Amino acid sequence: MITRQFGSEVRWMLRRPRTIIGLFGLVLVPIIISFGIWTAGDDESGGGGPGLAAIIQGNGLVVPIFTLFLSLNLLLPLVASIWAADGLAGEAQHGTLRGLLVAPVSRVRLLFVKLFGLTAMSLFAVTLMAVVGIIAGTAFLGSDGMMTLSGTTLGTGEGLLRIALFIVLVTFQMVSIGAVALAVSATTEHPLVVQAATMTTIIVFQVLSQFPSLDWLHPFLITTGFPGLIDVMRDPIPLGQIWDSTLLAGCYLLIGTGLAAMRLITKDN
Amino acid sequence: MTTSTSAPVTAPSKTAVAARTKGLRKEYGSTVAVDRVDLELPEGAVLGMLGPNGSGKTTTIRMLLGLVRPTQGEIELLGRPLPEGAEQALPHVGALVEGPGFHPFLSGRENLVRCAAFEPLLPRKEIKQAVEDAIERVGLAQAAHRRYRGYSLGMKQRLGLAAALLVPRKLVVLDEPTNGLDPAGTREIRKIIADLHAAGSTVLVSSHLLSEVEATCTHVAVLHRGTVVAQGELTELLQAGGSALQVITPDVEKALSALRQAKISARPLGDGLRVELAGTSAPQVIETLVQGGARVFEATRWKTGLEELFARLTEAEEAERGMSAVDTLDGGRR
Repeated sequence: MITRQFGSEVRWMLRRPRTIIGLFGLVLVPIIISFGIWTAGDDESGGGGPGLAAIIQGNGLVVPIFTLFLSLNLLLPLVASIWAADGLAGEAQHGTLRGLLVAPVSRVRLLFVKLFGLTAMSLFAVTLMAVVGIIAGTAFLGSDGMMTLSGTTLGTGEGLLRIALFIVLVTFQMVSIGAVALAVSATTEHPLVVQAATMTTIIVFQVLSQFPSLDWLHPFLITTGFPGLIDVMRDPIPLGQIWDSTLLAGCYLLIGTGLAAMRLITKDN
Repeated sequence: MTTSTSAPVTAPSKTAVAARTKGLRKEYGSTVAVDRVDLELPEGAVLGMLGPNGSGKTTTIRMLLGLVRPTQGEIELLGRPLPEGAEQALPHVGALVEGPGFHPFLSGRENLVRCAAFEPLLPRKEIKQAVEDAIERVGLAQAAHRRYRGYSLGMKQRLGLAAALLVPRKLVVLDEPTNGLDPAGTREIRKIIADLHAAGSTVLVSSHLLSEVEATCTHVAVLHRGTVVAQGELTELLQAGGSALQVITPDVEKALSALRQAKISARPLGDGLRVELAGTSAPQVIETLVQGGARVFEATRWKTGLEELFARLTEAEEAERGMSAVDTLDGGRR
């Protein structure tokens, strides 16, 4: 029964015109990045700083990681918030939430169905971006292994494993943000409120993390965990920051799910 | 005619009860939407829930379906207490509440398939057939492939009905099912309700279309200002509540004061009075009038329809100024 509900949920999300358009937009990101680096590389005089973009030249396998790393700051949270918004607030707005509850789907199960849909679609979107990134990166920049931030070069197989690890880490961050957005989504029937609240929070977090005087706050902001994820590009991988970021996201996931469940269980529909 | 707070007019039903509420109350902030609702829905009945806009019909229905938690009171649905027993009871309940709710970007058929995926009683293999049957039953076969976005109000309503009928139900709850339907559609809904009734399902229909209720229902519950003011079998209610006496008399003032003393409800009407026969009888009324010095030229038994019963129940307070002091309908409670 629950697999059937999971299936229905994902099919429903995939049937939405905005999901299709959104995925199409996401796929454009790695293509544009690859193209941009390719054209920029032509007239580059060399000697750029040892940043991520500099390493990418002639190193196509880094494109998916660079793409996801950039998108995690704004684009992926936006997508997660849209899915979370449609999941509960959108269903309430269309009156379809009532239908589900009368079917009946217990409220806790409904939340898990929504969380599953969010996770499946996030994983799908992130993987899609990565795959397109690999293809576009290889096509535009060529690929012989993956050069790490530590200066070593990994074989293609090892490089793909790193990409897979990064996909999982980024998806987890995205789902955690989505879980908090679901908690907001359970309180309203206006999807836009959910998106606005989520995006405002993400942006405010990023601004707050710029102030050194607020450094006591930084360990609690999910956005401060994002940069540490790039450690998958080091050799060997230092697990410290990756672990901290994931743990922080895990807290957001638990708190978001908990709040959403509390709200959903007592909600009048 | 009595009120729900004293002895309900309910014909003492020996049959089982499909749904029952006791002392139901719901507050939204400081407003009380529903208060002291004691509703009884006998198994196999078609109960018409009547009431003006804002009388608490939909709130009561939403509480019956476990969508809304009552502030106070108990609900029993198909023998299970709510909200604890919701998961056992609700699969047997089909509902169309507060208008149809579907996704605009999906076709009617796809919407139903999504509903069906969440129906616990529907095995995966039977989903397709159940959806087609439901579409056929509500007459949407022509439009099932079209997007819900483009549906007319009547088509939306039909799709909502189809969702409620996906699985054979013990109880079907229809909130304003004929909203936006053309006369042909209304007739079809009536037929569907009749079919459900014939098949032994219990049906709860809320409506403000009285002719609708009169035509399809076996039982009636009247809500007014968030509480049940009358309920019972339609025929009995009409007999009990609908009988009045029209008296032609030139001495209206005398007659009214005499009746007031005898605590009989009456109001001036045309050439005379309209006297309610609740709690009294025709000979008694005439005796009272004659003793009070009013000349009675003519007295006719007045048989009312549902419309008048409804008007009297729900407009009692407004009409009170024109009536003699005691309105036996509401009097018991004040």
